[in-house]
Amino acid sequence: MTTPSRRPCVVAAWFAVCLLLAGASILRAQPSHVGPMPSTLPVASAEERRVAYEARIAEVLEWYSSLSKPSDPLIGDLVGVSVRLALGRDLERCSRSVIELMKSPGSSPFWMFPAAGVAYLGRDRLSPEARAAIRRAWSSVMQLRGDTENHWAMYYASLYLMAQLYPNEPGSSWYTGKSSEENLAEARDYLIHWMRLTTTIGQGEFTCSHYIGEYAIPLTYLAAWAEDPAMRLRARMMLDWIFADQFANSLDGVLHGANARTDDTSVIERWNSLSSFFSWLLLGNTPPPAAYGGFGVYFATVARHYDLPEVIYRIGVDRGGDFMQRDLKRSRRRWRGSDVEMAPIYKLNYSRRDYAVGSYQGGISDPIQAHVWDVTWSVPDPRGVHNTMFSMHPVSSMEDLQMYFAEFPEQMMRSVTTEGKASYDSPDKFLGASRYEQVLQDQDTVIALYNIAPGTRFPHINGFLSKDLVDLTEDASGWIFARGGNAFLAYRPLAPYELQRALVYRSSWTGSKQDSGDRRLYSPHLRNGTIVQAASASEFPSFAAFQAAIRALPLRFSLEPVPTVSFTSLRGRKLEFTYGRTPVVNGRPIDTSAWKLFEGPYLNAERGSQKLTLTNGRLERILDFNTLTITDRIRNP
Amino acid sequence: MDNGVGAFVRAGQRQKAGRAGLRWLRSLAGVVGLGLASMAAGAAVPEPAAVPAAPAHELILSASINRSYVIGSKLVTLSGLYRRTGEGTFEHFGPNLLHVSAASFDPRDHRMIYLAMLNGALFSRDGGERFRIATGWDMTEPKDVAVDPNAPDTVYLALPDGFAVSTDRGWTWGRREKGLPDRGKYTQAIEVDRTRAGRLLIGCEAGLFLTENGGVRWRRVLPTRATVYDVRQSPANPAWWMAATQRDGVQVSRDSGATWTRIPDLAEDGAWYNIDFGTLQPNRIALSSWNQGLVVSEDGGRTWTPRREGLPTDGRIMRVGIDPDTDALYVSVRTEDVYRSDDFGRTWRETGLKGSTVSQFLFLRKPSP
Repeated sequence: MTTPSRRPCVVAAWFAVCLLLAGASILRAQPSHVGPMPSTLPVASAEERRVAYEARIAEVLEWYSSLSKPSDPLIGDLVGVSVRLALGRDLERCSRSVIELMKSPGSSPFWMFPAAGVAYLGRDRLSPEARAAIRRAWSSVMQLRGDTENHWAMYYASLYLMAQLYPNEPGSSWYTGKSSEENLAEARDYLIHWMRLTTTIGQGEFTCSHYIGEYAIPLTYLAAWAEDPAMRLRARMMLDWIFADQFANSLDGVLHGANARTDDTSVIERWNSLSSFFSWLLLGNTPPPAAYGGFGVYFATVARHYDLPEVIYRIGVDRGGDFMQRDLKRSRRRWRGSDVEMAPIYKLNYSRRDYAVGSYQGGISDPIQAHVWDVTWSVPDPRGVHNTMFSMHPVSSMEDLQMYFAEFPEQMMRSVTTEGKASYDSPDKFLGASRYEQVLQDQDTVIALYNIAPGTRFPHINGFLSKDLVDLTEDASGWIFARGGNAFLAYRPLAPYELQRALVYRSSWTGSKQDSGDRRLYSPHLRNGTIVQAASASEFPSFAAFQAAIRALPLRFSLEPVPTVSFTSLRGRKLEFTYGRTPVVNGRPIDTSAWKLFEGPYLNAERGSQKLTLTNGRLERILDFNTLTITDRIRNP
Repeated sequence: MDNGVGAFVRAGQRQKAGRAGLRWLRSLAGVVGLGLASMAAGAAVPEPAAVPAAPAHELILSASINRSYVIGSKLVTLSGLYRRTGEGTFEHFGPNLLHVSAASFDPRDHRMIYLAMLNGALFSRDGGERFRIATGWDMTEPKDVAVDPNAPDTVYLALPDGFAVSTDRGWTWGRREKGLPDRGKYTQAIEVDRTRAGRLLIGCEAGLFLTENGGVRWRRVLPTRATVYDVRQSPANPAWWMAATQRDGVQVSRDSGATWTRIPDLAEDGAWYNIDFGTLQPNRIALSSWNQGLVVSEDGGRTWTPRREGLPTDGRIMRVGIDPDTDALYVSVRTEDVYRSDDFGRTWRETGLKGSTVSQFLFLRKPSP
């Protein structure tokens, strides 16, 4: 048996191959990856933005094209073929390569979408023999649908497009055994179902550091190539939807805060993710990760079909002052061990110029790769910087895995750790969410409480204290003070702890680790908690003044019988939080029943509405899935 | 055949095999030199006989050989359906299919095959050459599939979010979940009562559920704290059923599934994966488990014995099956080999499918010549 949903490791493997292919010249060939930091100032001219966008697309395509020599008889992978088809080069070699590659088709959405991309990019460029080879491959090998929403987005977008490309063909000519029309109808129904779900009760795999690619690429395919204008428009609107959400949760292009899914690297080096590729490509405000994040190359082959609306661009780069965004998301589908099929996720994002604080309420949104909260600070150049702070309970639980996977319990644990998630069963990991963690965020204050059941495999919490913190001080008051960029940070462990060297994962397959210079706050107590308060350096005359202000804040807490905190934040707000009870802010319990799908200065949508209003300054765009309309307007001053 | 219909036998759902198979077993034991004396030392091993008979059943396996395959990696192995072609040899047939949980064959025509796999329910009309994904996007990752032997146009499907039925040989599917809880209807296992059409038990997260009318209405006959992984009807006594659970041990019913009792000698916590009954010797029962390994009884469940010696690990037994023709015991050790024992677990030998994990041993009754 296998545990199917393991995408980042596959991408990582592919990425490693790219690095090998490129050899020592790889970094030189990726000018934006190694070059100076791009400006974070907005570009006013739409024409200039588009020119720069297309230049970045060209950079990606040229880099990948350069990885194999023109003298090589064949192009070794579908992405290489896609790149050359997009560039209009080596078409005869593309055809020969496709014929060879289609002799051993893949068996999953990760083969389907590149193959569909080649089929469309090569519609009028590949030889009839090459096109026939692609068609045969969709008959001969059963494609696994996978078990996650990103798998299904890729699977059904690809099937939709291939069924559209080859209409009126019988079931015997498709691996599904269904006719072209049946395949098209099923794919369309699922895609619309997923869009409806996302636009009514929230996205499942929300603000992902990597999986955004698995949505952006198939949606761009559909926006570019779907013949049905309604599907084209739906895809286009969904692209706007997810990019607006992603960029509202990015600080200078770096995704921060809660993620339904991230990985061992990106959770501490927040910039180092595919999300940064999209920020670079669409906003131009941060460097792209190495190899353009792997999947970025696929996106680049069709990126010219998408034009980021100005309002979203400005949400990403031109936000003005501090803001709070409240969003509703949902957990991954729970098969068992839960009273609900999909748990609501109440997500918060408080962004300022110097730092941002993001969280959801705790609990398990995804069984392995979720990240619940952090404070992430802005840095002049995020490459290699671990600009984040958080604590978490490392979970390794068969029950949690069973909730989300339809597998036998014991073998599932074995599969997870040997098939690409080596850190899952490690006590020192920093990745994952716990049913024993509850979080209250109020602006730039976070209180995370832990009430870990006796007998739990890892009965401790890990706090992440970055190598990039400056002036880290363990104060006699019990607070830990530090500076991160222009942010002042105060971290209050509620139970005894020790600081240890942090070993971070180099490979999610082998589990190899290295000393990163970071520190792990290890606190082996079942009833536990963390308070983090952030502030801008500019708010205080000195770091010492900040520390004095923190020490003076009213704080009462106890850990028995359950953790409870009463804390007046730096913002003068009284936070009362007891594990297992509704948090109270300034005497008022937090009411999640009134939580909207999006609520903030930039993104607003009512729950269940299928209608998102994007705003920045006077710019407004309304995405309405009820009427399938996009409305752009300039609001009155 | 004790009910006059149906020509297939699923492991643990057997028809009476007659004396021929027994004789063949005894012959086989002699041929492979297992030592009849040692066999005779077992509690219920019958006296040897002389005349071998051709096996009445074909062994079909649903197996994955994946070498750490994950969605997106290159598939370099051959998974799906295998048939035993000889001692220690298995032949793959049909497409290369990972994640096949179960197969079921139409008793009237073995070319009609139903599969439960990651993509949904599949059927083939040509013996597995080609399959059609019979379900749509709204049914995924079924864990079990079963043809009703007394109404073979009807096929049942166990889903992680409930239960579905097709009454037109797999072409269309509809959910039948009245009486199942909104939550807790994760369904892992189906066992159709061979004595009556439309009567079946399913193993769910919330317990064992019984229907007398093909799923139109369900009632819970055993509440459980976690998933029921297997439910089986004895081939010898249709009123004798057993169920393997995750946190409620192994359960037994002597009244056709109406009431259940936990077997006290077997661990309550830690999942039991599957059960199989002997056919030649109906008092033989085998259980598979990750933690407990292989545990057997040769006295109808009164006493239980671990049988681990000779297997590569103490645990990780994913599946067990008992050959109705020979009483040979097959086990799948996760990502190891299939192992065979001709003395009910006292000694073992590798018998092929290296690196496999078997999700089902299915003994398919061969058509009459």
